[in-house]
Formats: sequence, structure tokens, C-alpha cells
Amino acid sequence: MSAEAPLLAVENLRTEFYTDKETVRAVDDVNFRIERGETLGIVGESGSGKSVTARSIMGLVESPGNVLPESSIRLDGEELTEKSESEYRGIRGSEVTMVFQDPLTSLNPVYTVGNQLKETLRLHRDLDGQTLTDTAIGLLEDVGIPDAARRISEYPHEFSGGMQQRAVIALALACDPELLICDEPTTALDVTIQAQILELLAEIQVERDIGIMFITHDMGVIAEVADRVAVMYAGEIVESAPVRSLYSDPAHPYTNGLLDSIPGNQPGGRELTTIEGEVPIPNGAATHCRFAPRCPKAFEECYELAPEPLPTTAGKDDHTAACLLFPEDMKREDAVDEHRAANTEGTDE
Amino acid sequence: MATTVETTFRERLTRQPGPATKWLGVLLVLVALQFGAVMQTIMSTVPWGTIGGALPATAPWAALAGVGDALADLPTLLARDVIPNQGYQVPGEGWQGTFMGLSPAAAWGIRVSLVYLYSFGFVGWLGYGYLVFRRHYRAADWTPYDDMLGRLDGHRWGQFGLVVVLMFIVMALFAPTLGPTTVQSNIAEPFSHELQYFDENAGEVTTILVGEANLQSVSKGGGGRNVGPMQYDRYDRFHPFGTLPSGKDLFTFMVAGARVSLFIGLLYISLAAGLAVVLALVTAYYKGLADLTVVIAGDSVQALPQLLVLILLSFVLSDTWIAGIYNGGLLLALIFAITGWPYLWRAVRGPALQVSNEEWIDAAKSFGQRPVTTMRKHMLPYVVGYLLIYASLSLGGAIIGVAGLSFLGLGVNPPTPEWGRAVSAGQPYVATASWHISLIPGIMVVIIVTAFNALGDGIRDAVDPQSEAGSNEVAAGGGGA
Amino acid sequence: MTRWRYFARRLVLSIPILIFGTTATFWIIRAGPIDPAAAIIGPDGDQQAYQRIRDQLGLDEPLWQQYIDYMVGMFTGDFGQSWVLNPDTSTIVLLQQYAPRTMWLGFWSVLIALFIGIPLGFYAGLNPNSWSDYVASFGGIVWRAMPNFWLAVILVSLLSQSQQLFGFSWQEWIVNVNVVTAPPLDNLGDPQELLRAIKWTLPAAIVLGSSSMGNEMRIGRTAVLETKNSNYVEAAKARGIPGRSLVWKHVFRNALVPLVPIITGEAFLLIGGSVLVETVFAINGLGYLFFDATINGDLPLVGTLMFVFILLIVIINIVQDLMYTLIDPRVGYEGGDS
Ligand code: SF4
Repeated sequence: MSAEAPLLAVENLRTEFYTDKETVRAVDDVNFRIERGETLGIVGESGSGKSVTARSIMGLVESPGNVLPESSIRLDGEELTEKSESEYRGIRGSEVTMVFQDPLTSLNPVYTVGNQLKETLRLHRDLDGQTLTDTAIGLLEDVGIPDAARRISEYPHEFSGGMQQRAVIALALACDPELLICDEPTTALDVTIQAQILELLAEIQVERDIGIMFITHDMGVIAEVADRVAVMYAGEIVESAPVRSLYSDPAHPYTNGLLDSIPGNQPGGRELTTIEGEVPIPNGAATHCRFAPRCPKAFEECYELAPEPLPTTAGKDDHTAACLLFPEDMKREDAVDEHRAANTEGTDE
Repeated sequence: MATTVETTFRERLTRQPGPATKWLGVLLVLVALQFGAVMQTIMSTVPWGTIGGALPATAPWAALAGVGDALADLPTLLARDVIPNQGYQVPGEGWQGTFMGLSPAAAWGIRVSLVYLYSFGFVGWLGYGYLVFRRHYRAADWTPYDDMLGRLDGHRWGQFGLVVVLMFIVMALFAPTLGPTTVQSNIAEPFSHELQYFDENAGEVTTILVGEANLQSVSKGGGGRNVGPMQYDRYDRFHPFGTLPSGKDLFTFMVAGARVSLFIGLLYISLAAGLAVVLALVTAYYKGLADLTVVIAGDSVQALPQLLVLILLSFVLSDTWIAGIYNGGLLLALIFAITGWPYLWRAVRGPALQVSNEEWIDAAKSFGQRPVTTMRKHMLPYVVGYLLIYASLSLGGAIIGVAGLSFLGLGVNPPTPEWGRAVSAGQPYVATASWHISLIPGIMVVIIVTAFNALGDGIRDAVDPQSEAGSNEVAAGGGGA
Repeated sequence: MTRWRYFARRLVLSIPILIFGTTATFWIIRAGPIDPAAAIIGPDGDQQAYQRIRDQLGLDEPLWQQYIDYMVGMFTGDFGQSWVLNPDTSTIVLLQQYAPRTMWLGFWSVLIALFIGIPLGFYAGLNPNSWSDYVASFGGIVWRAMPNFWLAVILVSLLSQSQQLFGFSWQEWIVNVNVVTAPPLDNLGDPQELLRAIKWTLPAAIVLGSSSMGNEMRIGRTAVLETKNSNYVEAAKARGIPGRSLVWKHVFRNALVPLVPIITGEAFLLIGGSVLVETVFAINGLGYLFFDATINGDLPLVGTLMFVFILLIVIINIVQDLMYTLIDPRVGYEGGDS
């Protein structure tokens, strides 16, 4: 465990799904890192590959899906892609765990919340007897469930939606993970509760100094929770930036589209824009910009060359965009050449 | 292709008549092929007076049965006498009286193939018509039904079910054409019909009563007393499935039995489904006491062991006038419907309740739309798919149930062919050379019931891809027969 | 607790169901066209004897009077006497004579279906698209579609002639038994006799349990498959719950829920199927008795048997609700499933 290594480093992540008719490349060459105490937000529409990215990290991609061998996922410097299923099981839960979108269905309906909590605690912390119960109640209190001693023996369906998600978070905390992946954890909840859960997550992060990967389609939520943001489109990260920089200075046309579709975010009372069209289903390596058919700024080269993530302006390494219009301080032809160069470099690897 | 201006179907048709004309052209060819038979059928159906005047008290029923019989006789399109398969072989001269002098087996095979080709051509024509309509004439570019059909597209299991079910229906519809002989001459009144064969001892063509001939072609185990599948008997009659212990033709018996089973099954399903849908819609709309009443009624009916009630009722009512209609088929269908509706009702109650909670139902209520209209226009379409699933499953169950009853000697009156009776007749010979008598009907039941189940599965996956196989299915399985 | 309230509600609802079922039976047998007096004396009884029997049975009393007597009789355990099959024998005595064989048969058929159907189905669900899955799925489909009576006919014939057909004698294998007729059940304490009785019953039990077994395989398979892919199992995986407790704790118990009605539904199939299976296997049990009583017009016997069957089904329904209530805590919540 080197002190230098980031908590999570994902490189060249490619995940494919095989159907009868075709091979779908759900995640295509994704790179990012998460530090301790940092929240990385991943935004994108449904079908953009965010959830598959999360599942790839969790080792939960099942056949007909497959994480391609050139991918690398390092947690605390440890390579996960080479782990066997049983080794992975030791990592899931204890080092990285996940909170899912729908709290009700992520709890087993036939067991009490306490039962499931204790099961997890027993597994990861080796507790039993009264200490086990006390720790479980303590965890429920930590996530802000009132009257925890009584509610611990209730069933999931007896909890309200917000309480259910708190219970799910308590379950995740029972594992005592280093990295917490949240896959749209607030989408199924209403706005006030959503805010409470986000607050809770922030508190937990400060208290426990864990890394959080927060997946959502909601730009508004991202602004509240994330330190850095990666925007995904059709299996690729099209823009990556610190949260401020992204909002103040969005680069990629897709990001602009997403920002415009936040209600109340339109300059001068413009109407809410939604991006026309759907996310395409990629079935192989990109040959052109995948956003081109929907892009308002698309030009000829966009259909011939796949853009690479490059700094939006020269030297600004923490804000990258995969768009032929960037780096913006270059002439268009030069920028395109830059991408072409990066492209051949990529294929040589 | 979004049409912004509302146009009527007629306008769309006149604007682009090409595809529709082509489609109708195919129909003309299909009809022309069978024109003689169609005319003949129309002519023979005309004397209605005899039916009307027969029984005043039971006239509606008799008329119903009459219409049923007439309808059943209608599709004798590919007439037997066009491709006759009954004849005799004179040494040195080949086959006499068969189609083009072919062997009876070949002539029969040709006729069966033609019937199926024609039928599948017809089904294909219907499907093609729907596609033409969808592409050229439908106002909406897309309806939810397109997605349902799309889901059936890759559903091999459901397609298998559909094809086998269609084959079964064709078998029932064309029963008189498909058999190597007819029910009338071979099974019902063999002693009033004759046949000719070449008598080797006498060296000449001799005439004999069918009944007498049957006695010489029995299947009762081995030792020369067996006519197995795909064999000729000594009167040059071809038996695709062999003969019964009574010497009657098993294939003719089977196809006629298919018609009886299908008639009972369909009538039962229509009655039960009608009742189930009405009750489900009404209770979902009004809820409360209405719902509770039907729940209790349904549970009560389900607490009666279905097969035992069937046995009891078909015995108790066996001497009444109603048991005489369609050889007891109507009675069976009624009993099935009375005891079977709760299964279908349960299947649609959930979806009906679900849709009744939707906002547009409340909206319709608040507009003052009449309840019946709301139910029909907004709730019914949603429920129908679910009904079809269980209808398909229950049909399989009914086929097993009817066969089970006739196996016990109840239900359909002899000598009307029913598959269960063949199983019963062949019971002593299962382990002998005459194994075919029990085995073939049983295997047919298994195949057809499996097909109905598969079709039900297919419809389920098309209608509601998320749903899982339900518990309700058990009950749809024929009550333990 | 809502779920016990739900259970209580179901309990109360079973009373009108029982009453309705019994009433329906009464109307079918008494108000139908069958004349019990004629059935008793047979075709050549004289008019006086006929009238005497009608008086004796109270058949000339108004129908509602008869109905009340019948209902009171049934619910107070006074089932009356057989009229035709075994005149002047209490139907209870007949029940006691015939029931054990049916119960023995039913017991084994349930056992076979449960212990073969569910494990196979679960196994197939855990290993989808494997050979065992195909076997279980296909088996489930075919078993379900096979008519009991036909299967019984085939099995009886094959077993009785197993010597000629396969060169293996089923009758003499391990212990000597018949293929048809009921096994003697009076000496089950003796291991040899017990074995004989089991082997004797097995073929009929397999037939009777066949469709349930098919259902259990199929539903068990889909249930496991669904549960396995459910969110909470994935969530449990994400918490690092090891495979074994994942399967045993999180998959199986949930997968049992949709199986509950299948298991209890077996009772329906048993009651209906016993008539045909007992007829083919020549087992003089309740199903056989019912059939015999029906075709001989022995109305009190038919009525009693029907009542017993309905009672049985109602009890099984209650057991089913109890099982639901125990396995699935969501029962009765927000209206639940009624
Ligand atoms: S590369 Fe071209 S098409 Fe793609 S986002 Fe940039 S401008 Fe649009």
C-alpha cells in the first residue's frame, strides 16, 4: 500500500456485452482516479455506461458481460482485474461497496433491517452477541434513523423511502469501506429527502475520510456533492473537470446540453432545452465522435475522427474534453491534428 | 411519417390503393383455388327450414348447434372427392378409384399437405394484410401493440406454440377432409356404408359393409390382429395411425376428436373469459363490497374440486336434454365455464385493479363518462393481453380435462370421437403390438397442451416482459386429470 | 401486526366459502334430475317400496327443509348413511375404510413432487443454460402437459410387462408386489411390509405427483433465477456476502414465496387426480369411492365426500395463508394480496 497511490485508479477500462446479434461496448476506454476524501461525480444519460463502470469496479459484471483484459482497476494500488471471484468477494464489502438506486429493492424484503445489518457486521467486523446488536443500532443512529433500537427489528417495507435509503447506507457503512460507489442513490426519492441523504453522505465522507464515486444523471445533484466531475457519453468520458470549472466553463457541447436541461438554469428565461435524440449503442471502437449526430456544433471532421480527451486550453491539465473543438486556444485544424496525433498514439499502445 | 392531419381510413386507402389491391388479389387467388367448394358449401347450407321447424322448445339451442354444425362443415374446402384416397388394388392394374391411380397413402398425403399449405397460406395472407395495413393505412405510426408483436419476433418458444396450435386448429377445422375416411361411414354408421375391395380368393372386386370390414381390421395386440400406424388393412384401406380395437380408423377418430376438444375448449374459454372480464372490470371500477362479493364467490367456486364437480355434474345431467346438444359438448363447456371462471378472473383482477388506479380513469370519471364506456375504452384494452395468457393455458387444461372425463366414460357421448376414449380403448394393449391406440392420443395431448402453454408463455412475454410465471397456472392445468 | 390481521381475515372468509361449497353440492345432487329412491330400489322395484323409501328418506319434504337438515347434518358431523353402495352403513365408516389408502398415496406423491421438483428446479435456476437446466426445464414442461390418466395407463402396462419388455421384473425387484391394487397398510411397523407398501404405491404416487412436480420445477427455476438477479442479491454481493449464504439465505427463502401456492395447489391436483389414478391402478381409495358413488347415484356418500374434500381444500388454503404469513413479511401490507 503505497502512500502515493490514489485510492482508485481506473485505466483503459473497457467492458463489453455479448448479445445474440452484436457486441455492445458499454464502457470504452475510461480513465479516472479518486482520492481519499474526494467525491467523483459521474454524469450522463441512461445508457451512457455509468452503471456498467460502477459494476466493473465492483466486479459485478456477469456474463454475457466482460471486462476486457487491457483494462486496469487499481484500488489502493492493488490490481482488481486479475482477482479471482473469491478474492474479489473479500474486497467487495470490506474495501469497496455500493449503494443502489432503489432502496426498497436493494433490501431483502423477507428479513428485518437488523438481520441484514448484523449479517454484514458479523462478516466484516467479526462481532457477536450484544456488541453486535449495539453496533447495529449505533449504525442506524449514525445514519439518522430515529428510534433505532425499535426500528432495527422492522422489515424494509415498514420504512419510508428516505429511511430505507438511510438503512441501505448504514448497510454500506457496516462494511467499513474505503470507497463507496453510489449509483443514483437519490433518484427514487423526493427532493427534500434527496437533500437530506446528500447531506448525510457528505457528513459520512468527512467523518470516515472515504472516497465516493457518485453516479447520477442529474447535473443539479452533481453540483452539490462532487469535487470532480466526469461526464460520460456512449461509454466514454467526454469531459472531466473540477466541479467549479465544469460549471463555470463547460467545454464539451454535450455538457453544455446537459447544463441547459437543468430547470431554471437557462440564461434569460430561455426554454428548457433537451438534447434531441438518444444515446447510440456503441458496438466497437469509435471511428468518429459518437456525439456528432446530436451535436449542434458538429463539423465535417467530427464524422471522420474520434476525438481524444485533451486539455480544454493548453496547460489546463485538470480540465479535459473529448471534442475536436478543443484545445480552444488552437486553430481548428491544429486542434484536429492534435486529436489525430493522440489517436494514433492510443492505437499504438 | 407522422401524419399531422387526421385522415379517415377511407381517405388513406384512396390515396394509396396499390398495396391493398395487391393484398386483395392474393385473396382472389386463394378463393379461386377453392371456388367450387365454396359454392357447394353455400348451396348445401341453404335449406334452413328443416332446422328451424324441428324443435320449437329448444329451438335456440338447436339453431345454435345447427349453426355450429354448419360452420363446422363449412371449411370442407379441399374436398375429399377432389383427391380421393379410397380405392382398391387389382393385381396388374394398379390402384383403382384413387387420385391419379396413386396409392391411398400417397393420395392421402397429398391431400393433407394441400390442406396445410392452403391453411398456412391463408394465415400468411392475414399476417401480410396486417403488415400492409400497418405500413400504409394506419393513422398512428406506432402503437403499443407493435412492441408486443416485436417481442414475439424473437420468441422461438412462443412461435413453436403458435405453429402447433395453428396446426391443431386446422386439424379440427378440416377434420372431414383430413381423415383417410369419414366419421359417418367408418365410425358412426359403419353398417350403413359399403366399400369395394379386390377379393383374391374370388378373383374379383367385391362389395362389403364397412362394419364387416372393420371387424377384420381390429387392433388387439399381435398375432395378425393388429393394424399399426402407416399400414394397410386387408381391404386396401390405409390407416395413418393404425386402427382402434374395434377396427375403426384411429386417424379419422383423432381428427374428429380434435374438433370436439377444440369446440368445447373454445366455448368454455369464451364463456369463462367473458364472465371473468366483466366481473374484473366491474369490481375494479367499483371496488369495496362488489369486489369482496366476487372474491368470496370466486374462492368458493375454487374450493370445489373442479374435476370432481365435472364428474358429478356430467353424470347428474347426463340424461337431460342439454347433454344431447353437440353430443354433450355444450354441457361440458358450460360446466367448465362455471367451475373455471375464477382462474381467469384472478388473472385479470390484478391488472384491472392496477389500471383502475390510474389517473386517467379518475379523469374519465370526473368528466362524467359513463362507467361502461370507461371500462370498455380505458380498462378493457389493458386487461385483454393478460386474459389471453391464461386463456391459452386454460385451453390446454380443458383438453386434458375433457380427455380425462371421456376416459372415465363421462362427458362426450359415444360414439362421438374423443381422445380420452381412445386411450381407454387401447389400455389393454399398451405393451403389445397395438401400442399405438393409447400412445398416439396421449402424445398428441402432450404436444398440444405443451403448445398451448408455450403460446401462453409467448403472449405473457409479449404483453408484460417483466412478469414471471404465475402461480395461477397450476389451476389452469385441468384439475388433476 | 398487519400480517396477522390479514391471516385472521382469511380465516373468517373461509367460512362463507365452506357454506357456499356445501350448498352447491346439495343443489347439484338433490335438486338435479336424479331420483335417489329410484336409484336405491333399482329398475324393477314396485311402487309401494318406492314410496316407502321416499318417506323414509324424507324426499317428499319441501326442498328447503331438506336443505337445512343437510347443512345441519354436515356441519355437526352427522353425515348420514350410504344408500346404494353399502346400504345402512354410516358414510363415516366408509370414509374410515377408504381414506388411509388415499392418504398413503397422497403422502408419497407430495413427497416425491416436493423432494424432486423443488431441488431440481432450484438447481436449474442456479445453473441456467446448463445441461441440468435443460433437463429440468424440458422435464417441467412435459410433465405438466402429460395427462395423469394416460401416464398411469402407460406406466401400469410397462411395469406389468417389464419382464417381457425390458427383461427386468418390476414385480420381483427387491420385494414382491403387484403393479395394480392397493397395498396392505395394516402392518407398516414391519420394515419389510413398509418397504412393500412404499414400492407398491410409488408408481401411482409418481403419476399423481407428476404435474405438481413439473410445476415446482418450472416455478422453482424461474423464482430462483429472478431472485438471483434481483437488486437485493446484487446489493448483498456488493457487501461481500459469501456465495453460500447468498444462496441459502437470500435466494432460497425469497424463491419459496411463489412456490407456496404451487405446493398447496398440489392438493387440488391430488383430489382431482386421485379419481383417475385410483381407477387405473385399481386402488380402492376415496377417489375411487367418489366415482363409484357418483355413477351409482349414492347421494349421501357423494355429498359427504364432497364436503370432506371441500373442507380439506379450505384447510389447505388456510395452511397456505399461514405459510405466506410466515415466509413473507409483506403479506397483508398495503392491501397485499387477497
Ligand atoms: S467533436 Fe464535433 S461532434 Fe463531437 S462534440 Fe465536438 S464538435 Fe460536436
